[in-house]
Amino acid sequence: MSSSKSNKIVKLESSDNKTFEVEEAVAVQSETLKNMVDDGCANDTIPLPNVNGKILEMVLGWCKKHVDETVTGDELNKYEADFLDLDQADLYGLLMAANFLNVKGLLDRVLQRVADMIKGKKPEEIRRIFNIKNDFTPEEEEEIRLENAWAFD
Amino acid sequence: MQHRRHQSQSHVFPRRLTTPGGAGAIIVSEPKRGKKRGSYTCGRCGLPKKGHSCYVSITTDTNSPITSTPTHAPDSSVAVSATRPPPTRHFRRALSFDEDVGDVNGGFPEDEDDLDLGDPVADPESGRFPAGCLWEILRRLPPAGLLAAASVCKGWRETAKRLWRAAEELRLRVPARAQVGLVGSVLQKCPGIVRLSLRMESDVDATMLACIAFSCPNLESMEILKSDTAINRITGDELGRFVVDKRCLKSLKMEGCSNLGGFVLCSSSLSTLWLSDLYSLSKTVFNCPNLNEISLEFSCQENDSTDLATMVDGLGRNCPRLQNIHIASVRLSHSVVLALTAAQLRWLRMLSLVLGSEITDASVAAIASSNPNLELLDLSGSSISDSGIGMICNVFPETLSRLLLALCPNITSSGIQFATAQLPLLELMDCGMTICDPNSQNPIPDESSDSELKHFSNTKLHLIHQKLIIKHNRLKKLSLWGCSGLDALYLNCPALNDLNLNSCKNLHPERLLLQCPTLESVHASGCQELLIGTIEHQVSDDFSAMENLLPCKRLADGSKRVRVPHFLSAQSYDDDKKQRRVERRQCNVLVN
Repeated sequence: MSSSKSNKIVKLESSDNKTFEVEEAVAVQSETLKNMVDDGCANDTIPLPNVNGKILEMVLGWCKKHVDETVTGDELNKYEADFLDLDQADLYGLLMAANFLNVKGLLDRVLQRVADMIKGKKPEEIRRIFNIKNDFTPEEEEEIRLENAWAFD
Repeated sequence: MQHRRHQSQSHVFPRRLTTPGGAGAIIVSEPKRGKKRGSYTCGRCGLPKKGHSCYVSITTDTNSPITSTPTHAPDSSVAVSATRPPPTRHFRRALSFDEDVGDVNGGFPEDEDDLDLGDPVADPESGRFPAGCLWEILRRLPPAGLLAAASVCKGWRETAKRLWRAAEELRLRVPARAQVGLVGSVLQKCPGIVRLSLRMESDVDATMLACIAFSCPNLESMEILKSDTAINRITGDELGRFVVDKRCLKSLKMEGCSNLGGFVLCSSSLSTLWLSDLYSLSKTVFNCPNLNEISLEFSCQENDSTDLATMVDGLGRNCPRLQNIHIASVRLSHSVVLALTAAQLRWLRMLSLVLGSEITDASVAAIASSNPNLELLDLSGSSISDSGIGMICNVFPETLSRLLLALCPNITSSGIQFATAQLPLLELMDCGMTICDPNSQNPIPDESSDSELKHFSNTKLHLIHQKLIIKHNRLKKLSLWGCSGLDALYLNCPALNDLNLNSCKNLHPERLLLQCPTLESVHASGCQELLIGTIEHQVSDDFSAMENLLPCKRLADGSKRVRVPHFLSAQSYDDDKKQRRVERRQCNVLVN
């Protein structure tokens, strides 16, 4: 439906009531927003209660960069790499936002980044990083340990 | 000598997603020795490109996404439904232990509605992810990581289990100290395995086959690779039993087959068979009517008692559907070729018979008369001469796209040039180590010392100071590695991507002209510094700049005549269509 590559502006409001205005071309990098635009629901400000202002700004920055045709492939790669140099809380927020807004490339990158954080770590370390409670019984733990003994050589 | 190919990354649109396969792979192909029949390998999965659909890009769409619209009351359920992978996402169902290969992990097309993985909303405080996200994260882990993740908490364990069950492909590196039990315990987790690849660093024998046979009821493709130190003790009988039992096995590839001793393979499902390091096979029976592709590489040990002619005869009789044949053995000879051609394999498209110095021009004649529709012909290491090339050009111009004649000492630059002129569909040409300076260090059958240079017959004198002029519209890869007798080269190939000039020691920098705008890699290790510099210069300028290096003259009718280097006959520079300024891709000159 949105065939016009004109300067249609999409307005977004984050959970902490910050508003952002971006060009449609930038906004539709998000599948979620694209669907809304296509369905004609994007005329008013779109509230995004799951995403706070800081994260939304980052996501929109990403989208802008990917629409910009003056950016070279190399520059983009560098940008993407630097982009994910975040602390954990931000990474989480970004993951949730990218997931909710369905920005494919970003989501893929963030998921990979989280996977990279897990790779090569022992379970206890993983729990610490992600603040996860160990809910196995001692018997279950032992069973798992035996199963996987060889993997941690 | 290693023959290296490096996939250069082109950073133009479209953007590449970070595929877990990682950056461009380095494809190392052994020069004409154990090289998979001219099938250059796919950068992602390592399998030959010919006739393969890379598993890395399997797309399955059984999911209809639920679009979430924020006009609904925003609550946690909205977040959950938005986590379903959109239909365009690729579902890859493979687990890989092989760290080099990268981790391609499974996607899961089933509905996740009824799965309770705890609180569906991400909660940074307790480190929880929404259901779909956890799946996507864990699926990017290598199996060792997945096992660690499964030990974290119940929710993660559940997701990991599902990932294992969904896995269709497994690549496992079996370390040196490991037992069969390791493979067994892994295979138990993923009973749905369809494709299995094991890289053995410990010895392997029939117990492994039994374990695989037991654990993988749906196995269609199996590959056993081995490190240099591991020994493959599987015998022919054991292999034969495995093949008979596995009714859906389509592809079998195995390295280190020196203990087979002989085999009887009976299978109506088998279509691809690759065996390497074969040695002294007594009886070989290929009762595989649907066999499509076979690769048999013999080890170079002495005293190999395999009767190749009988083997090939049997192959031809029992496997009429063969399309691709690759045999590498120093004992290949004309009689073996005759046995093969007698079979009149009407579907044969790729024929590779390498290392057989007793393959002659007569063999070429036989091949040409019985299989006129070849697309690939590889007779590297044979004794064919320019007249053999003449025959090839006579019979195959309408089909042949790949011609490999490396290490053929009896062909000359005229033969090579003739081939490129007469074979319009040619895309790949490998003439490595053909035009060699007989005084060089390279091992050639007829080695002579300096003092005998004077006594060389004409046939040898021409091997030095050779020149090559190649103009070809479709040629994509050209290899002249080791052609130390080459001293001048002019290439006008608008489609050329890869040029191998490794060890062209005598190629004169002022007698090199590359007019190949799509060139992506030039291999120049072992070449003179000056030559490397010239190459770099020539590939980095774009056309019009280079044209300016050559003296040119504008004629009365407005056209231009460019004077090309003296060793070429006067030609008109017919590239006036440069209003179409093709943007030059970056070309890498590889020297290492």
